[in-house]
Amino acid sequence: MRIRHLVGLVLVAALAGGAVWPAGRAQAAPAPGGTVVLYTSLPQEIATSFARAFMARHPQLRLEVLRSGSTELERRIFAELETGGIRADLLWLADAPVFLTLRDRGALQAYRSPEARQIAAAWKDPGGFFTAGRLINMIIAVNTTLIPERVAPRRWADFPRFGRTAAMPNPFFSGSVFVVVATFVREYGWAWFERARREGIQVLRGNSEVAAALAAREFGVGMTLDFIVYGMIRDGAPLAIIWPEEGAVSIPSPVAITRSARNVEGARLFVDYVLSREGQQALVELGIIPVRADVAPPRGLPRPSEIRTLPVPFEWAAQHAAQIRQRFEEIMLK
Amino acid sequence: MATGSGALRVPLPRARPADPRVLLVGLAALALAGLVVYPLAQVLVRSLRAEGAWTLAAYGRAVAPANLRALWNTVWVSAAASGLAMAAGTVLAFLLVRTDLPGRRWLRPLVVLPYAIPPFFGAIAWTQLLGPQGYLMRPLLDLLGLERAPWTVYSPGGIVGVLAIHFFPYVFLTVAGALERMDVSLEEAARTSGAGTLQVMRHVTVPLVWPAVLAGGVLVFMGSVANFGIPALLGLRARFYVLTTSIYSALTLPDFGLATAMSMLLVAVALAALLLQRWVQRGEGRFAVIAGKAIHPQPLRLGPLRWPAFALAAAFAVTIAVLPMAALVLTSFLRYFGAPLAAASLTTRHYAYVLGLEQARRALANSLVLAVAAATAAMALGTVIAYVHGKARLRGSGWLDAVGTLPSAIPHTVIAIAVLLAWGRWLYGTLAIILLAYVLAYLPFTIRTTAATLQQLHASLEEAGRVAGAGPLRTFRDIVLPLVRPGMVAGWILVAMPASRELTMSILLFSLRTETIGVTIFNMQDSGYTQIAAALAVVVLALILAGNLLLRWATRGRLGF
Repeated sequence: MRIRHLVGLVLVAALAGGAVWPAGRAQAAPAPGGTVVLYTSLPQEIATSFARAFMARHPQLRLEVLRSGSTELERRIFAELETGGIRADLLWLADAPVFLTLRDRGALQAYRSPEARQIAAAWKDPGGFFTAGRLINMIIAVNTTLIPERVAPRRWADFPRFGRTAAMPNPFFSGSVFVVVATFVREYGWAWFERARREGIQVLRGNSEVAAALAAREFGVGMTLDFIVYGMIRDGAPLAIIWPEEGAVSIPSPVAITRSARNVEGARLFVDYVLSREGQQALVELGIIPVRADVAPPRGLPRPSEIRTLPVPFEWAAQHAAQIRQRFEEIMLK
Repeated sequence: MATGSGALRVPLPRARPADPRVLLVGLAALALAGLVVYPLAQVLVRSLRAEGAWTLAAYGRAVAPANLRALWNTVWVSAAASGLAMAAGTVLAFLLVRTDLPGRRWLRPLVVLPYAIPPFFGAIAWTQLLGPQGYLMRPLLDLLGLERAPWTVYSPGGIVGVLAIHFFPYVFLTVAGALERMDVSLEEAARTSGAGTLQVMRHVTVPLVWPAVLAGGVLVFMGSVANFGIPALLGLRARFYVLTTSIYSALTLPDFGLATAMSMLLVAVALAALLLQRWVQRGEGRFAVIAGKAIHPQPLRLGPLRWPAFALAAAFAVTIAVLPMAALVLTSFLRYFGAPLAAASLTTRHYAYVLGLEQARRALANSLVLAVAAATAAMALGTVIAYVHGKARLRGSGWLDAVGTLPSAIPHTVIAIAVLLAWGRWLYGTLAIILLAYVLAYLPFTIRTTAATLQQLHASLEEAGRVAGAGPLRTFRDIVLPLVRPGMVAGWILVAMPASRELTMSILLFSLRTETIGVTIFNMQDSGYTQIAAALAVVVLALILAGNLLLRWATRGRLGF
């Protein structure tokens, strides 16, 4: 009995040790060039693929990625600002307005990447505190087996009409949706959301969840991001992207180096890589529309210049972030 | 234990100046002050303070209509889950223990299996079974000729059902235990007095096991009140919040005042349940006939009902144990969730992804380290407290026991907030802060299991040690510890297992590089990565099942299922 006990414990300990050892070793001896820490809202698998591509280009660097919804990352970022500075070297979120807030609070440091010359002026901060690393577009997606083309919504104004068969993501989780909510409030007023609630639009969590729920036929119509739907179509899901007639909500997703960055050199290499032809090409292969004019978009998706977009009130959204979220909660989530 | 005794083989002084075990009391008191008292006091203090002044403002916000609704939701959902669990657990326990139901042997481990599976795995699996397009829902809709489901698992009812499934083994195990220990001569007496089977059940059996049913029901209630993963994954779409999920949202705002004030509401609900439990068990001694060896009574013959009863029990067991796991496995191989179930839709890509994901490997390692460390630390402290209180009966040890077992009444969400408030400034972002929360949460359990083992140890054994000239510490080390070790090993494992897949506390305390496996899977599911969450969950399930088999083998079937 006791021997069996011991053998069992030793086995358990060995299993535990075996699992721990490689991780411990990896952390104990980082490659020369050091570790760079990135907080990002890129979808899970895209974040992993892109990090691998970056590390293949710079084998001396180790990119450590904390991935979550923009809003959750922001909570972490602001909490860390209170307690000794942001623990990440780099931020790459979908919530563009929050970068204005972070810049004004002195949480970012300027870096004018040589590669940034290729990026349109509208997509970078004049002071060099952040630069768009990708262009993401909030569009309407439909499940083509449920919603035939002739009845599919063409405009955002049509969207609420789909009621319980339609889903949108939650601005308390996703930064890009927060931008969309701000844009819609300026464009259509809160009435759009009041109607959406009346008709029974379902609020899910992230953009990925909306796309997955559409593919699973849980909903026929959804508000979500272009590249996520694009990736699922490539996987064989019966989805289609509809570019709304009034315009998509195009969000340049900024990448920035934090003031508290420990590995500034590594962080700069990452920004250079994101903005480089090679980095943008890696994003294109993951279905993302590039911010450089000299890189072609994924097949079937438009160039940035071809996208009609609603005017996005970045400054206004940054200044009224708390009120916008609160009002959204009152209308859509209570 | 055998090593190092040579150096100590010096005769110890016979006259005892002061009992050195008092030192143990002092150390334990110090540990408890920092581990239990200070953090929990922080929650209370923080709920009453804002901008440097004492105020009830946070409680004002806590009793806003939306939060009171969350309180009410917590109560009714937990009560409904307890009711369902009591009904199912009692019927099954009776069928499996007291009747000639075919296949009792293999049904038993199956029905207690949900106990070993993390509750939020169940929530994930049930969204895949009974979501709007779930594996069970789709054929059901086709059968009924419906376009869309009138009801899905993303609802209060779904939360109640999944809670009941996951916690009903509490009822099953307590009732099965009571039935096994029951003095059958009482039933025989009734029968010889001419009572029929139904009469015996109504007037003898049911009253005898009723306290066990209630006790199990209260455990289900407490488990449901404190659960976070199930309402978090199933409640959002229905805009249905309970206290644990509301506190989580309050922390994401972040509004610490509101979070702590609502924590006090949660504690109040848990305390009410605990008082109920005390009340239920107040007369336990009267009929808990643990004394004599169980006399195995003649199993009740089900007669023509034998096979229908078997079909029902087997269907139930398959539904709660096999289907959820099958759903996770199936989903983990699908290209995307909802893909047609055909060979072309299958892929092993998600496994390649999660197994290659550094974050997942690190989370697995973190969880194992935390489980081993938490179980060891809680066991060490718990053993000291159980010994000085239950065995040595030293002065002041009653307080130690009271304070040490206090956390059992505190829901884990509140424990995490307490630790965060007390030690966050220094330890946020480290595994240590998660470890502190685990030790705090599991300490009562280790005190109880060790105390139970110590009770079986007759005082004469220690006295023999003293007579032979050993001091109190030596007696403790050389006589007490070896004798209680099997009980301690069991307690250790029973802490390490739930700790290795903990979610409720870790989700509030994790940071970059300190993710646990529970947090990683929860976040993947929560962000809509159904497939990779399922693949990782299947990997963890395989580890859990392997661990259980190992445990069963190592303890010759005393532990595990």
